[in-house]
Amino acid sequence: MDGIIQSITEFMQTGVLPIALIVVRLMVAVMALYVVWRSYTSFKKGLRRREPVVMLANHASKTKYAVLHWENSIGRSKSCDIVLPDTTVSRDHAVLMRREEGWIICDTESAGGVFVNGKKISEQKVIGIGDEMRFGHTKLMLAKADSAPEKKRIFRGFSSKAASPFRLMFTATMVILLLAVQLFIGTGEIKFDAFIPFGIVFVLGWALFAYSTLALKRVSFEIETVAYMLSGIGVMTLAGHDMDGVYTQLAAMLIGIVIFCVLTWFMANIDRVEKYQIYIAGAAIALFLINVVFGTVMGGAKNWIYIGPVSFQPSELIKIAFIAFGAGSLYKLQTKKNITMFLIFAGVCLAFLFYMRDFGTALIFFAAFLIIAFMRSGSVRTIALVIAAAVAGVVLILYFRPYVMERFLNWGHIWEDINDTGYQQTRMLTYMASGGLLGVGVGNTGFVGIPAFDSDLVFGLICEENGLLLGLVILFAIALFILYARADVTRSRSTFYSIASCAAAGLLIFQTCLNVFGSADIIPLTGVTLPFISSGGSSVMACWGIMSFLKASDERTYAAKRMSRKEEKAHMNEEKLRYERETAMRERERERQKQRRRQARAER
Amino acid sequence: MRTVGKRSIVLYILLCLFIAGAVWLVISLLMNGGKWAMQPYNYHLGTSNLGEITDRDGNILAKTEGDVRVYSENETVRRSLLHTVGDTDGMISTSVQATMRANLTGYNFITGVNNTVLNSLGGNLKLTISSAVNEAAYNALGDRNGAVIVYDYTNGDVISKVSKPAYDPMNIPEDLQTSEAYKGVFLDKVLSQRFVPGSIFKIVTEAAAMELWPDTWQSKEYNCEGSVEIGGSRITCLGTHGAQNAYQAFGNSCNVYYALLANEIGAERLQKKAEEMGFGESLSFGDIKCEPSFIDLSAAGANQLGWAGVGQYTTLANPYHMLALMGAIANGGTYVEPRLTDSLDLFGALDSTDKRLTTASEASELKAMLRNNVEEYYGDWLFPDGMQICAKSGTAELDGKKPTCWFVGFSANPETPYAFVIMVEEGEGGIDTAGNAAAAIIGAVNANV
Repeated sequence: MDGIIQSITEFMQTGVLPIALIVVRLMVAVMALYVVWRSYTSFKKGLRRREPVVMLANHASKTKYAVLHWENSIGRSKSCDIVLPDTTVSRDHAVLMRREEGWIICDTESAGGVFVNGKKISEQKVIGIGDEMRFGHTKLMLAKADSAPEKKRIFRGFSSKAASPFRLMFTATMVILLLAVQLFIGTGEIKFDAFIPFGIVFVLGWALFAYSTLALKRVSFEIETVAYMLSGIGVMTLAGHDMDGVYTQLAAMLIGIVIFCVLTWFMANIDRVEKYQIYIAGAAIALFLINVVFGTVMGGAKNWIYIGPVSFQPSELIKIAFIAFGAGSLYKLQTKKNITMFLIFAGVCLAFLFYMRDFGTALIFFAAFLIIAFMRSGSVRTIALVIAAAVAGVVLILYFRPYVMERFLNWGHIWEDINDTGYQQTRMLTYMASGGLLGVGVGNTGFVGIPAFDSDLVFGLICEENGLLLGLVILFAIALFILYARADVTRSRSTFYSIASCAAAGLLIFQTCLNVFGSADIIPLTGVTLPFISSGGSSVMACWGIMSFLKASDERTYAAKRMSRKEEKAHMNEEKLRYERETAMRERERERQKQRRRQARAER
Repeated sequence: MRTVGKRSIVLYILLCLFIAGAVWLVISLLMNGGKWAMQPYNYHLGTSNLGEITDRDGNILAKTEGDVRVYSENETVRRSLLHTVGDTDGMISTSVQATMRANLTGYNFITGVNNTVLNSLGGNLKLTISSAVNEAAYNALGDRNGAVIVYDYTNGDVISKVSKPAYDPMNIPEDLQTSEAYKGVFLDKVLSQRFVPGSIFKIVTEAAAMELWPDTWQSKEYNCEGSVEIGGSRITCLGTHGAQNAYQAFGNSCNVYYALLANEIGAERLQKKAEEMGFGESLSFGDIKCEPSFIDLSAAGANQLGWAGVGQYTTLANPYHMLALMGAIANGGTYVEPRLTDSLDLFGALDSTDKRLTTASEASELKAMLRNNVEEYYGDWLFPDGMQICAKSGTAELDGKKPTCWFVGFSANPETPYAFVIMVEEGEGGIDTAGNAAAAIIGAVNANV
């Protein structure tokens, strides 16, 4: 052991080490990029093809409507999933949705009502194949789907096959391990304790992996892999400066993962979610109240609660509740068109945040609100009105809260007073530039002692130590969450999940904008955290919690089950047999046709 | 669900903003990274990773030995180049060591300030300065303070740049911050200060006359009786020159002539001409924005306008601007921006646009007048043979102090294309003090470059 330490020490004093560490940092960035990109492409690969599950057959006009989604609107309006060109049908007449019980037809307050097998239904009714429904004068029968031809995708993402979840997890782990190795030898002294946080992150990540793939037999693990890698990068960055803070961060990561698992389980049943939505809103408001009564002011905002030695920011967790309350299933969107409840709830949340002077978080809530409100209503005019009102609100804030105004005035002028008003941003830019593309090394930073350097300015810290490349990979990872959400938006099991996952991705990217561009003086500084990376327990918990919306939006989370190797083999064999049977049948059919043609010719 | 799917496209607005912000960040990092990184508070910057600075002949002006920054072996060279090369503590903010620190540390966008063998190359700088000329220029100022700058007006190479008082960066005086003698020592007089121009401003007044009366300006005559009453008080002249035309008045530097001329031109037109010639504008010297020369005739009465016409009143001139003006006259009206290194960086070639200060015909007329000054009034014998020096002297009167003496001009010989500005504080007179210093400096340029 001593011998090894000695040889490591000797190696550290040679000029080879700095070069070796640069190579290591390049590997970190490249591997991280691989994980981020392949996670996304593999996620896309695993998505269900866009083919109909069932059909609706109209025997009178001999047309068939493909039922493509889990929730389908039926009506005269062009925006419906199934458009019925019949004047006796209401614009949004009904919703056909898939639930655990089977297919359900819901009358969404139509003028003429919905009839199933001749009987008018009251609200909802479970239907089966062969059942006939009537909307106005149009009669539709639920039928089995024909197999549709496969559409070819133009861009297949460089590789036609999905990467195995294990390989992605392994690479993500290597990224975190290489960060730990850098901390171990890179600072000029040997730091064995660099491997402790790595070990804990490792255990947390792989425990989640085992739980998901082995216990729950879920097929996909891409979203978790990216979240795991980002959390690991955050933890290892923090480990270079604040070993005590690291354990808080790790504890938060553990709690965050638990929240993620619980929420994902909870959202399995959409009826359960909708039943509890009102309680979720109540809990959120209660949390706000507790915050206002018992909260502590830190950095100008009263957004902290201390429970013994533990402190946390309730507003971070309320983000999750906000999304969960805002989203809704198509049936709900179509019947209770008014979004009054959500408007009131959003108003109350914003009022609390303003009272607490937590303007950065208020802005994030507002962005999430806009996304949800637009996805629910689709009304550009309403959104424009809301934005106009918000601008007026901002003007009022600037008028009544001069210190916010100060930040606005400093914007773009940070170099004029580098030791006072421009202190944080100038340091951020200086050290970000100092890092170049590949960084100056983990633990080798000039940031220590600058307020909020590991939270508000953490992007600069990452770029300084690990280089701009890794910084950009992190931004890329967060940006891709938008594409994850978009990919699922019409495939998810309900518009509840679609809206929630879009709001979640939008919230994360908006928060990232505020953090990165604020600290770089591209926009005024607001002082919010960088998702997953910034030091801050509540933030990490909330980010993992928010991930559950993306996870729940993926139908495979609940529908598809991972097969054991034996099952897989059996399934493959079955597929093969089916394929052979089908080709044989087609062959026979062709043969028969030929024969018939020959016969016809002979007769002539 | 299709509708919700369509509406989710709003997320792309966010995504676009995000991408735009990220691109903006990377581009500004690419453009300004050097400036951002080279801040005095940057923890990663020590003297240990600064490169070598040499002059045009390869003499060491600054280098790092171990952890110590050492400068030229010659003490006078060290003092004379204090404001150009800079000090170790970064007090001289317009020096090479402060403004080109990014080049000296080998900073680049790719490696940042990472101190490895990968970027230890390319951290050295070769200046266009001649340390021998600079030493001569410093000595030529004698025990007076002042500013000197000499450059090649064809390519912009600065041969010499001195700001005095200066101190030795290797033996920093203990009373640097307290002594009256070192007041304002951290400011480069060439770049960052401005002084009363006195008679050298007559170049501007004359150019305004040329513009106004393109055919008759030469034959314009005024009679000098030693002084003249304008606007209720007298404007005095150094001599009694009698009837003067433009050439005679320019050579004799007749105050009466130019005071009357300025009044005939009028405040508005003189102001406009001065501004066209660079007054009121901060000229750039690489990344440095120089102190602008000053003129404001908006509230000037007739007498004050008369004084302004001879470079008194509230007019102030920045030596770097005066050099640019000389460079422009020598070059047909536009000047080549002075520079300290001839290495072109990525964007160097793009933004070094030549700037016009006078028209081509005004430049050639002024050149002839300046040449006439030396031939007929100052004497070609002052300068090395064949240099065809064109020049104007100036003696700016100050209240309760000896005058500020100027000698500005250039060599019209294409073999020796040098323009110069010499400014000496508290001297005896334009020709006596600044003219003689100029003779010594131009001699050194001729001998060394």
